[in-house]
Amino acid sequence: MKETILKLDNVTKVYPNGTVANRDINMEFEKGEIHSVVGENGAGKSTLMKMIFGIEKPSSGTITYKGQEAKFNSSMDAIHAGIGMVHQHFMLIPSFSIVDNIILGDEPTKSIFIDQNEATKKCQELSDKYDFELDVTAKVSTLSVAKRQKVEILKTLYRDAELIILDEPTSVLTPQETEKLFDQLRQFKQQGHTIIFISHKLEEVKKISDKISVIRNGVSKGTYLNEELTMEQLTNLIIGRDLDSDMDKYKTHEDFNNEKALEVKNLYMEKNNKPVLDNISFAVKKGEILGVAGVEGNGQQELVKCITGLEETAYTGDIFICGNRVNDFNIKKRRDVGMAYIPEDRMNDGVAGELPISDNLISTYYTREDINKKVFMDTKKIDEVSEELVKTFAVKTKTAKANVNSLSGGNVQKVVVAREYNTNSKFMIAEQPTHGIDIGSEEFVHHKLIEMRNAGAGILLVSANLNEVMNLSDRIIVMFDGKIAGYFKDANDVDESDLGMYMLGAKRQSIEETGGALND
Amino acid sequence: MTDRSDKYSNKYKLSISNPKVFDAVKMGISILIGLTISFVILIFVSNNPVNAIITILTGPLTKTRYIGGVIQSFIPYAFAGLSAGVLFKAGAFNMGSEGVFILSGVVITAIATSPITTSSILHPILCYLGAIVFGGTVMILPSLLKAKFNTNEMVVSLMLNSVYAGVAAYLVRTFLGTVQRGSNSSKDYLLTAKIGNIYEPLKISVCLFLLIAVTIILYLVMTKSRLGYQIRLAGTNPSFANYSGINAFKLSITTAAIAGVLSAMGATTALLTQTSYYTPSQSLVGIGFSGMLLAMLGRNNPIGIVIAAFLVKYLEQGSQILYFVDNKVPSEIIAIIEGVIIMLVSSQYFLRRFRERKLLEEGLEEHAE
Repeated sequence: MKETILKLDNVTKVYPNGTVANRDINMEFEKGEIHSVVGENGAGKSTLMKMIFGIEKPSSGTITYKGQEAKFNSSMDAIHAGIGMVHQHFMLIPSFSIVDNIILGDEPTKSIFIDQNEATKKCQELSDKYDFELDVTAKVSTLSVAKRQKVEILKTLYRDAELIILDEPTSVLTPQETEKLFDQLRQFKQQGHTIIFISHKLEEVKKISDKISVIRNGVSKGTYLNEELTMEQLTNLIIGRDLDSDMDKYKTHEDFNNEKALEVKNLYMEKNNKPVLDNISFAVKKGEILGVAGVEGNGQQELVKCITGLEETAYTGDIFICGNRVNDFNIKKRRDVGMAYIPEDRMNDGVAGELPISDNLISTYYTREDINKKVFMDTKKIDEVSEELVKTFAVKTKTAKANVNSLSGGNVQKVVVAREYNTNSKFMIAEQPTHGIDIGSEEFVHHKLIEMRNAGAGILLVSANLNEVMNLSDRIIVMFDGKIAGYFKDANDVDESDLGMYMLGAKRQSIEETGGALND
Repeated sequence: MTDRSDKYSNKYKLSISNPKVFDAVKMGISILIGLTISFVILIFVSNNPVNAIITILTGPLTKTRYIGGVIQSFIPYAFAGLSAGVLFKAGAFNMGSEGVFILSGVVITAIATSPITTSSILHPILCYLGAIVFGGTVMILPSLLKAKFNTNEMVVSLMLNSVYAGVAAYLVRTFLGTVQRGSNSSKDYLLTAKIGNIYEPLKISVCLFLLIAVTIILYLVMTKSRLGYQIRLAGTNPSFANYSGINAFKLSITTAAIAGVLSAMGATTALLTQTSYYTPSQSLVGIGFSGMLLAMLGRNNPIGIVIAAFLVKYLEQGSQILYFVDNKVPSEIIAIIEGVIIMLVSSQYFLRRFRERKLLEEGLEEHAE
């Protein structure tokens, strides 16, 4: 019989805005296990973790840690009790060294000064003990994302954490780095640490977990041994039904006379004297989805910036949207000739969180005739349109008058997609459209993109999620090092590992072969 | 299902969990606390504290001339508040209203002292127009500099305020002065330029109706027009406004111009109704800055700002009356009430727990249903 380290009894949390985030959650975590907690966005995982880590207090119910009722007033209490948390967004000071970041708030001292030597020694030992391969005197700003994450984990270990909560740790890592992280997690487990693993990526959850707990709509759907569950059962538990991942069957095949929604010719852009976009040419036809695959940072972001005109950027080459050369157009004019855009940074660019959903649902077409009267805006009509959109896009809210801030990530994205969908544009850029949102919302967004495609819109899908690109696209281009490294005329004939080779630069097509991206 | 949500939305409207109701309750309680604190102070300084507080609260109502004083003096402050409200709502920290007030004073004085017309209707209108054109132009300067040179609006506008004060003093002394009054004030306005009262006892002039009209128009613009929508977007999230295709530069110039026009209207009203000559170092000083406090009290809502301006001027009048009857109590007592109220209203934490508890109850109730 293993010993229970953490036990939740009928934990309920009601937020000040009235949302019931968790309802009567019962869960048990045993010492030395890797225990995943999965669920959709807004299902209540984060809230549950915040309560365990002392950031939030339960409205009712008890949390028992190591046999004693835990009443944490702040995360400091949780840390002292031996609980560590690695947040999705790193809490590090870039201009500080690794050591300084680790000891911050818990510095070894010599009289009134910080004992730097002692601190460095201790941190280096810790790093070596767990094979982190870090030089602890390096500045955090010089580190890669994967290494920063290691620093975060070291921070918890330095404070003798026995229970470590990892919130979406793999969302920023490459597959290789993820593998490495998992090795380390297994090592922690052997040394008696307990890991709570939060993730959207179910393949990873299946790979690493001993046990899996599922939360849906704030209610626990039970804890299972990993072996007991198939992937299908797990998905079913999370969203309450089977997932429909085969998008091809929804596609219709109408002919739009090969009309081009977007045409990009010989796009070239430099940053620090290095080409970040190197002679890029491709076209998106009406009624198709062109997927852009690639590891992040290979020019996709710059490409999107050039096409959308969100920022003024210096580049050469030509960009045509629905037949108009838009090089000198600002984003407003580009929208006017038929562009819609789902931005990657949805909280910053995609919504104004402190304004009502209804205001957010019309921002890109607020001058349109149907929602305006002669002098003023037609507020009644706007309310109608918003309520309608909220309903069709299944945004989880009581009313379209509620602020966007009261929504979960998946629902915020639905607001963005609903707005851009409602522009009736002939060209759409979807930049990481499902990044960080739950599978239910993801499926919904996918369906809407297909719907737009079937209605004759050309969609440029830029995504780091390989499955998404392969499932949705008609044609695919792969970007590597600012160039189009590969072009696939039919997304159905593409092999995942083959695509991976192009993404990593191990394979590259000739100019003639990639020319099809523009001319097919 | 619909039945239940209807029931909920009704409750939502009436309850403290509704942000608007909450703001109103918070305002009321803030005022009460402000008055209570001043009462405590009055206990120490006054022989008859109960009478004193009653005088502050009801004094202005005891004579028509008192309430008339309030009506006459609050209008320029209300305009200044509206001006600041527009800028704050758009997320612009342009504090140039003070400078616009003082510098427009010169333009108004120039027009009001020159015999360009003999019509007592046209002359004030010309003063307004001159000030409006001038004020609207001057106010956009910090926004222009920000767009072209990426300067800090707040710093630039505050510096410009000092520059304008100096320029105004120079211009009045050199071109508009008169020997009778030393070098700091202008000569007398021509009688045709002054705005008389329509109803003398309450000092109601046409300016009151101007203020009401402007407030209603501004309210409609802010809540219902496309410009108001742009201001809301840009004020809450500039990147989102940019993404939505709203031209930030154009918008910042437009809002600054509107704010300048409103300030200029305030300056013209103040000079033509309350004085007969202009003293740059006195006449309009402080109104622009007070406008920012009023905007804060009124939550940037035009109607709220006008009400706030009236209440503040009312309490100030009350404390002055108190000073007449009981000169142990300095009229500055009102500054304490104002300070406390503004502090409480602008505080994010004040009464928050109260509201959260209510929300919690409602959330659990709904959950139980």
